[in-house]
Amino acid sequence: MATEVARPRESPLGLTVRGLLRQRSSRVALILLGVIILVGLLAPLLAPYDPAAQPDIVGLKSLPPSLAHPFGTDPYSRDVLSRVLYGARLSLTIGILATFVSLTVGVAYGSVAGYLGGLVDGVMMRVLDALLSIPRLLLLLGVLVAWPHLSIGALILFLGLTGWFGLSRIVRGQVLALKHAEFVTAAQALGASRRRILVKHLLPNLVSPIAVAATLGVAHVIVLEAGLSFLGIGVPQPLASWGNIIQDGVDQIATLWWMSFFPGLFMVLTVLTLNILGEALRDSYERRS
Amino acid sequence: MPSPLLSIRDLRTWFYTEGGIAKAVDGVSFDVGAGETVGIVGESGCGKSVTALSILRLIQPPGRIESGSVIEFEGKNLATLDDDEMRRIRGNRISMIFQEPMSALNPVFTVGDQVAEVARIHAGLGRRKAWDLAVETLALTGIPAPDERAKQYPHQLSGGMRQRVLIAMALIMKPALVIADEPTTALDVTIQAQILDLLVNLQKEFGTSILMITHDLGVVAETTSRVIVMYAGEIVEQASVTELFARPHHPYTEGLMHSMPHIGHDQERLNVIPGTVPAPTNWPTGCRFADRCPYSWDLTLRDHPPLYDVGAGHISRCHLAKEPERRNQPHPPLVVEEGVDAA
Repeated sequence: MATEVARPRESPLGLTVRGLLRQRSSRVALILLGVIILVGLLAPLLAPYDPAAQPDIVGLKSLPPSLAHPFGTDPYSRDVLSRVLYGARLSLTIGILATFVSLTVGVAYGSVAGYLGGLVDGVMMRVLDALLSIPRLLLLLGVLVAWPHLSIGALILFLGLTGWFGLSRIVRGQVLALKHAEFVTAAQALGASRRRILVKHLLPNLVSPIAVAATLGVAHVIVLEAGLSFLGIGVPQPLASWGNIIQDGVDQIATLWWMSFFPGLFMVLTVLTLNILGEALRDSYERRS
Repeated sequence: MPSPLLSIRDLRTWFYTEGGIAKAVDGVSFDVGAGETVGIVGESGCGKSVTALSILRLIQPPGRIESGSVIEFEGKNLATLDDDEMRRIRGNRISMIFQEPMSALNPVFTVGDQVAEVARIHAGLGRRKAWDLAVETLALTGIPAPDERAKQYPHQLSGGMRQRVLIAMALIMKPALVIADEPTTALDVTIQAQILDLLVNLQKEFGTSILMITHDLGVVAETTSRVIVMYAGEIVEQASVTELFARPHHPYTEGLMHSMPHIGHDQERLNVIPGTVPAPTNWPTGCRFADRCPYSWDLTLRDHPPLYDVGAGHISRCHLAKEPERRNQPHPPLVVEEGVDAA
């Protein structure tokens, strides 16, 4: 390759991203995801109406898509397009923040277990096994039903706190495999402390697998949140999330098809692009290692 | 005689494995003087690397340095030093160069960062100053365009370059002692010579002592002034390098020298020492080399030999010191009956 010489800095994460961008499917996914994120960010500017306003509950309810309401209106006369745009904003925010919580807890738990090893690791892993044996959805249902009208912040926290188990396993495995690597002994021989070795030498080596887990994790949380909102125990009304928009039209799903089609379409596209990117990231990273 | 820089007495590093206690290092004593280069030679499993790691207290469980072992360095016993103080010595007063330059470097950091890190840990230098010092040290190791190279990742450098980086990491704090564990084994022959020259030159420049761990007698001859031969967890012979090559005393040392291929000799086959090292969980009671030795007799099978003084500062753990005439009657190794191979 002609550009070979002119690349002094090639970090492993940089190589992973470069590998990702070489594929057409992941480039398309990246652009699509970018558009959805942009739409969410710009929802207040793009939305033609206030997503919670009920201008005329009799005259404007349950209208099919038209020029005035491209995605139609719901049984409360609210504009579905505006709700879907705001929903993008909320669903993505919840997905990202909850995944952030999962990452923090999962990386901390997994790396400590893997690095300390021995009895500590044994106990921590058995606790994890116990947590993993409870189905995540059941756990969330239990909490949310027992504790209705949770704030969005608490919802994010619960989604995050039930989502780190798998990741912490991955992190623990990687730390366990890496902690006997010669560069760790070398760092020790040069006087690095245990804390420094874990934070500065081991964790940066896990950036790629963590990025994969994060991407797939966001997709998973979005689906989960939609499911909970659909069941009426996720995002509370009148806030719009993709799940509760579908829920609003569920009684007449056969006639009010636009109520489930448009939010569903957005959700499917988001989850699909995230999964494509996650898988491509994984392929690119595994090809190199 | 001034007190030596490093003085090891009765070092025992044992591993508590399921198959029994593996006495990987079993009562080793030696000194390294200031500015001196000492070689430790021996085949795989003789305990030379464990000795090196013990000095830096890098032995992982189930391994342990037994109490009573003394590793005196600059007036402190490293074997009993607390962890924080030990960490201040590592990389600062004693540092280590590893065998595999690729795996001893962290793949996700630039080499400049990794050299600079040592100075940041020990000298408390800021990012900028540590980086400048790192580039300076990389230049000392003969890396061309060091400020460019410092920005590269390990996988972008050749094996020889990586080894220079490791040397820079080991030397940036100008330590009193550098332990080099097979520093050239993973390199091409031509690069090996360059790296050895570099080490010798840097040692002269800084007055650093070097403990050279190797299985290669050629490396020993080229770089060291005194040689320690290890076998089965203990020192079997020690002498100045000229004395050792002129008059090897221990049959194991003799065997090592015979097994070196010589250019110009038409050899059908390489000479080898028959047999293998006994299991460290079950050292023989007599001489540990007896079952591979061409001179062994009943005494060697029964009594563990002490280190005999054989003159000219030369010591050897061989009963031949008492009965030198037996050297004229070599024979195939005796078959040892009990438990030597039980692992």
